[in-house]
Amino acid sequence: MLFIIEDSINGILMGSIYGLTAMGLTIIFGVLKVINFAHGSMLMVGMYVTYWVVVLTGVNPYLAIFIVAPVMFLFGYYLQDIVIKPIFIAEKNVREPITVIIVTTGIWYILDNLVLLVFGPQYRSLPENPLRGQMLQFADMFVSVPKLYGFIISIITASAIYWFFQKTTMGRAIRATSMDREAASLMGINQFKVYNIAFGIGAATAGIAAVTLVPFNNVFPTVGVLFDIKGFIIVVLGGLGSIGGALIGGIIIGLIESVGPQFMTATWTEAIVYGLFLVVLFVKPSGLFGQKNDW
Amino acid sequence: MNVIRKIVVPTLAASLIATSAIGALAENVKIGNIIPLSGPSATVGQQGKAAREMAIEEINAAGGIQSLGGAKLELLYADSESKPEKGVAEAERLINTEKVNVLTGCWNSAVTYPTTAVAERYGIPFVVPVSVSDKITDQGFKTVFRIAAKDSWWTRDQFSFLQDMEKEFGTKVEKLAFVYENGDWGKGFAGQWKELAEKAGYQVVLDEPYPSTATDLSPVVQKIRRSRADVLMLVSNAADAILLTNTLAEYKVDLKAIITSGGGHADPSFLKAAGNSARYLFDIVEWETDVNKPGAKEANEKYNAINGQNLTGEAVDAYVAMYVIKDALERAGSLDPAKIREALAATDMTSGPGMIVGYDAIKFDATGQNENASLVMVQVNDIGNGLERITIWPKSARRAGYTPVFPMAKK
Repeated sequence: MLFIIEDSINGILMGSIYGLTAMGLTIIFGVLKVINFAHGSMLMVGMYVTYWVVVLTGVNPYLAIFIVAPVMFLFGYYLQDIVIKPIFIAEKNVREPITVIIVTTGIWYILDNLVLLVFGPQYRSLPENPLRGQMLQFADMFVSVPKLYGFIISIITASAIYWFFQKTTMGRAIRATSMDREAASLMGINQFKVYNIAFGIGAATAGIAAVTLVPFNNVFPTVGVLFDIKGFIIVVLGGLGSIGGALIGGIIIGLIESVGPQFMTATWTEAIVYGLFLVVLFVKPSGLFGQKNDW
Repeated sequence: MNVIRKIVVPTLAASLIATSAIGALAENVKIGNIIPLSGPSATVGQQGKAAREMAIEEINAAGGIQSLGGAKLELLYADSESKPEKGVAEAERLINTEKVNVLTGCWNSAVTYPTTAVAERYGIPFVVPVSVSDKITDQGFKTVFRIAAKDSWWTRDQFSFLQDMEKEFGTKVEKLAFVYENGDWGKGFAGQWKELAEKAGYQVVLDEPYPSTATDLSPVVQKIRRSRADVLMLVSNAADAILLTNTLAEYKVDLKAIITSGGGHADPSFLKAAGNSARYLFDIVEWETDVNKPGAKEANEKYNAINGQNLTGEAVDAYVAMYVIKDALERAGSLDPAKIREALAATDMTSGPGMIVGYDAIKFDATGQNENASLVMVQVNDIGNGLERITIWPKSARRAGYTPVFPMAKK
């Protein structure tokens, strides 16, 4: 019994971090209607930014959020503005421009290889990291401190984004654009500015997710790919475009991954995760919290 | 006409001179080397080439082969590009056109396997410095001699090492946990471990494959912790090796030893990224720069000065192969392939400038496998110079003055 509680706690903590890595993906999809294949790479870039900020300034890894999130916001903002916007303009009459998906795939390859070229294939983790290996211990139960921080940051981030979308003018403009971009444009909303900001927010959440991962994970050029695939499953599970859905979807995956191996070999939990993915696609394609009707 | 005279005549003359030059040194022993000089394994091929050249230079400088009147050794290269068909074609060419006396190669097991068949057909001795696939020496060939350990010996040596440690430190090990990446490599190792554990009377308390792409390995670590194993044996790629090592330390898993299988644990960035969590673990490798053998340090320094990197296991095998050939030629006293083969089969090399391997003698069994070839175990520890890999097994190769930490100390 104690084992199950211990594993469930680990699953919920790790799962919330998975949810955070997928949150940017769901935001960008919700607004731009585009699957951003470069999302894992943005996470990877965020991890490198975090790594270097911490190594060069020596700040507490979690304080790096205040540098990493703005940097990543600008990165996403201009990535959309310079690279993706021209394609949108060229295909403005297409509702779900396929070429944008291809461009994001291109960005993924370019970012991964650029980082490989600049920083090399080495695996890095924070040296002299005071958080690494920190554990809370209750009797025979262990709870990882960096994961606990990750959980708290995930909840705060999700709440903040939710508040931003509900309460601010910009948030409303983003939601309006995601519902009907023609109508939103007619109401005087600058569609491309909204896209830039949505992409920026997506990248910033990837940056925040990166900050939560760096204290206990490795940084290397293809690290994004590992989280990418999980991100897609989480987003479909939770419902495309739903922020709370991403968090819940992440926690479900985390629980399966953490509790499952106690009853079977770890390789089988992957099969369960993918099986669940298929079941959701068959039974409830809009996901747990997605809207049934496409706008 | 003028042009032809200008080009053709000097070329012809040059080639005539070249031919006669070779003719004059006819007693040279030609060693044909089929190695991957381009393509995916080119870096290893280039290391092999550099190591061969270093050995040949030393041998020739020391007077060549005495029994053949001071004959010099001459290296001929053929690029296999890691392709089996290329290896076979080059073997035919080297034997028929270049008339080589001995062949060596090919590093890639897939190339070595068909290429040794060509050598067998012509009766030309083929020395395989390193190609690990078991089947190369299982063909019943008479002319194939392999210096490096074969695949199945890696796991065998991990178990011999464990038993030797138990004896040396008087600590009893009963329960083993096997955790391995879910690929050919990991599953292959685990299959052999299971057989060996059964034979040696160990109890296997955990047998767990995991996906190398895992982003969180704490569930696997929890299973290791709860299995209460004495010794954990791992096969991991790089990212998961680091993640596992760190997570094991976080959960303070109480183990007597962690024995790993190279790969991710031997990756140059592993020690840096895993840091103190990696302390005391045991890894198996072909060769380590600190093996306590006369000449090893000097050979490594010389190699490093020429090539800017340390000797690797592969390079050492290639280097030693040249000395094995020299030794055989010396005893054969003839260039007759059958005589060279006989001499190779009777090899019993225990000392001399080439013996920088971790084990004590090179001696071939009936299949042509070097029966003494063994691997080296290292322990990761910090003895004042930061974390490093310290050779500890076989005991004869142990770094002077170092006592292994077994069972593992608490961190």
